[in-house]
Amino acid sequence: MIQTAQDMKTYKDRIRAALGNQFLRKALDNFASSYRVSRAKAFEGIDLDTLKEQIAESKDQALTQLESLFVQFKTRAEAAGAIVHLAATAQQANEIIAKIGRDNGVKTIVKSKSMTAEETHLNDHLEAEGFKVTETDLGEWIIQLRHEGPSHMVMPAIHLSRQQVGTLFGDVTKTPVDLEDIDLMVKVARKELRPAFLAADMGISGTNMAIAETGTLGLISNEGNARLTTTLPRVHVALVGLEKLVPDITAALRIIKVLPKNATGQALTSYVTWITGAVECAASSTGKKILHIVFLDNGRLDLAKDPVFSEALRCIRCGACSNVCPVYGKVGGHTLGHVYIGAIGLILTYFYHGKDNARAIVRNCLNCQACKSVCPVNIDLPYLIKKVYANILRDEGTRPVKNTVLSTVMKNRGLFHSLLKVASNLQKPLVQKDAGVLRHLPFIFGKAHDFRTLPALAEKSFRDQWPKIRPHIKNPAYRVALFGGCVVDFVSPEQAISLVRLLSAHNVQMEYPMAQSCCGLPAMMMAEEETAADVAIQNLEALNSQSHDYILVLCASCGSHLKEGYSKLLAKKPEMKEKLRILHDKLIDFSSFMVNILKVVPESFLQNQTQVAYHSPCHLCRGLGVTREPRALLQTAGLDYTPCKDEDVCCGFGGSYSLEFPEISSEILSQKLDHVENTGADVLVTDCPGCVLQLRGGMDKRNSRIKVRHIAEVVADNLKNP
Amino acid sequence: MTHNKLIDCMKEKAGLVQAVVSTVSSMEDVLRYAVDLTLQRNSKTIVVPGLDPQSLQELEALCSDAGLTVLQPPFRAHQSQIDTALTGADWAIAETGTLVLDSGSEDLRIATMLSETHIAWIPASRILPDATALSAYLVEKMKTPPGYMSFITGASRTADIERVLAIGVHGPQELHILVMEENPS
Repeated sequence: MIQTAQDMKTYKDRIRAALGNQFLRKALDNFASSYRVSRAKAFEGIDLDTLKEQIAESKDQALTQLESLFVQFKTRAEAAGAIVHLAATAQQANEIIAKIGRDNGVKTIVKSKSMTAEETHLNDHLEAEGFKVTETDLGEWIIQLRHEGPSHMVMPAIHLSRQQVGTLFGDVTKTPVDLEDIDLMVKVARKELRPAFLAADMGISGTNMAIAETGTLGLISNEGNARLTTTLPRVHVALVGLEKLVPDITAALRIIKVLPKNATGQALTSYVTWITGAVECAASSTGKKILHIVFLDNGRLDLAKDPVFSEALRCIRCGACSNVCPVYGKVGGHTLGHVYIGAIGLILTYFYHGKDNARAIVRNCLNCQACKSVCPVNIDLPYLIKKVYANILRDEGTRPVKNTVLSTVMKNRGLFHSLLKVASNLQKPLVQKDAGVLRHLPFIFGKAHDFRTLPALAEKSFRDQWPKIRPHIKNPAYRVALFGGCVVDFVSPEQAISLVRLLSAHNVQMEYPMAQSCCGLPAMMMAEEETAADVAIQNLEALNSQSHDYILVLCASCGSHLKEGYSKLLAKKPEMKEKLRILHDKLIDFSSFMVNILKVVPESFLQNQTQVAYHSPCHLCRGLGVTREPRALLQTAGLDYTPCKDEDVCCGFGGSYSLEFPEISSEILSQKLDHVENTGADVLVTDCPGCVLQLRGGMDKRNSRIKVRHIAEVVADNLKNP
Repeated sequence: MTHNKLIDCMKEKAGLVQAVVSTVSSMEDVLRYAVDLTLQRNSKTIVVPGLDPQSLQELEALCSDAGLTVLQPPFRAHQSQIDTALTGADWAIAETGTLVLDSGSEDLRIATMLSETHIAWIPASRILPDATALSAYLVEKMKTPPGYMSFITGASRTADIERVLAIGVHGPQELHILVMEENPS
């Protein structure tokens, strides 16, 4: 029975327990590494972006006409001898299927894998009705025997070791099983399950695609159990989520082209089966298969009409959003999901299994965008996760105190900035002066937060220094405005000062619009959308000047939020459209500006070849799609860039995430730092002050010799004529 | 893709998913291959759904010499005794090394699901570059129901225990593909 934490305290206990599971972490880590390689290989030579867009578009189109596709499917399938049902709820689907069993004198049932049946808890229902149900997918059989839910949508038993499976099989067969020999365990399953297939009265399958044009079910599987399930028993019931309806074979083939590759890096699963109507079946008295197709609504028809959330129904259940999720990689699917797992699970749980089951898990998202980048149907998963969180806060009518405080403060820039000034004074007894870090964590932080040192607020913020240091360039080549962001302005002004040096050296006039405020991403992370929209408008006004050629960001997270987040936030404000467009056009990250606009040359820099490793910030490489420029800039600026494992995997910061889930943040960080230390580099460079904060705090905590610096700092330090 | 390149691609991709691919030039080769392999596996029985009467006669003669049994349909009666299934394939998809079998016949389905070894022959001329090239055929079949169409790519497999690849969890433990080139160059 799946029991998902419904409050944060229970959830954090679960997280600690999961983090203590060494096998799980190792298994998921190995998988994450090999998946990236095999997925890339599987898509070699395929224009994936176009394919993704085509599938998303065709799915969206289908979602607007689910009812008519259903009618078309039903007409076709029934003409071909099937009986088609539509269940409004999970309970109704289970009752329909139990009735089919009773009406046909069924005693034993074999099942092939179906996430939709997991959604309705079909097995529990059928067993309570007296049917004997055997799961036949190896992973599903294992978890059925263990009475637990899947921990991955494609690999349901990935959380278990061979020893655990071997022991389980030994208990079930009452014969000892070699605990190391996986091949042998697979043969045990083959031998044990074969009689169940041969004896079963009814087979239950899921469906990957339901083709309306012909009333055809499309099923994909590797083991062959779906073929046996749909062939041997005299009754076949297919349980199908309504969103699986596609108009025609072209749409279905497109899904098949992507799904196995994106799921496991396989070119195609061993079996793809297309069933149209009641085929011959000698076990049935009529000589024809008794075929029932049960479509499940369970909220899908409403969801399909939702302007924001409907895209969640594009999901084709490949599980890739789990495969690349750094959080999943640390805690596994039983901790990051309910029935549906991973990023899509955090969203669907709210709609299919209610807010109580979604309440805690939905907060466990770093917003690193890794899931979004591999989603084969372009679902904006991180965004929808925050929207679900906002819905839950709305439903419950109560907000965490920190949300209320944050919203009140952030909406008022004057108040926000003077509070930061007060804090800068208050922290003085805690600051280790020479290092600019907090010697002691303030009492509000527990022990779990002790995995990194936290930086002190700067004695003098960048905005307070600006009037004195503002350069005056005669006949500048460009005029640019800096959007600093809170961390640069109040914690690390030295990063902006490095930028000033670099820009002056390249004849660029910089401005610092003083009315700018926090970009608003922290408010988004806490699902305070109204506040986020409020500050977005403040910033649009502050940055809206004709005199800048570019708007520069030193913070990838601010940049990505300004560029992409704002258009979503302000979509309903047509009066902001022009300002948004200008911002969108002018916004550029530091490295791209240096490399693509200024076209800096090696001659301007000392070529000291200091060995540097690079961390690619989530919101730069995925958010803004910038990958080449920072690396090119490092090389131009005379540094010896040494590639590092998993450069584009999140550092575990995630802004307020690292405060909410310090244990997970710490684990993700620790792995990142290990990879960096393995390169032998002297300096770790990145282009997001948030990442700098996290990485530097972690390196400091482990007394590492490796310095962590913003790319603007290392590049400015190598200037020949500073 | 040229015809030869298609054949090479088919062989390569099928090989990548642990199918054993060979080239043959006649039905006689196919029958002999099935008999030899069955003997090598110390197996006893062969099923051949949908084989033409003349070839069936030849196979029965070969089997009788070799001490093997050709099981007679309906195969449900032999569902625990099928060692080798020998079938044709209707099409092949080179891009993924896939065989396409129109499996409306229950005997064909049982043969290809419950056998230990599946041997399928495919005329080289029936190899298509990708699944899209097959859509017209698929639609035509789906529009004349009932139907059960199978894409088969390699042998039955799982990676459900520690993601270690294991072959033959439910379906055939081996898949052999015989590409029939009538005028092999």
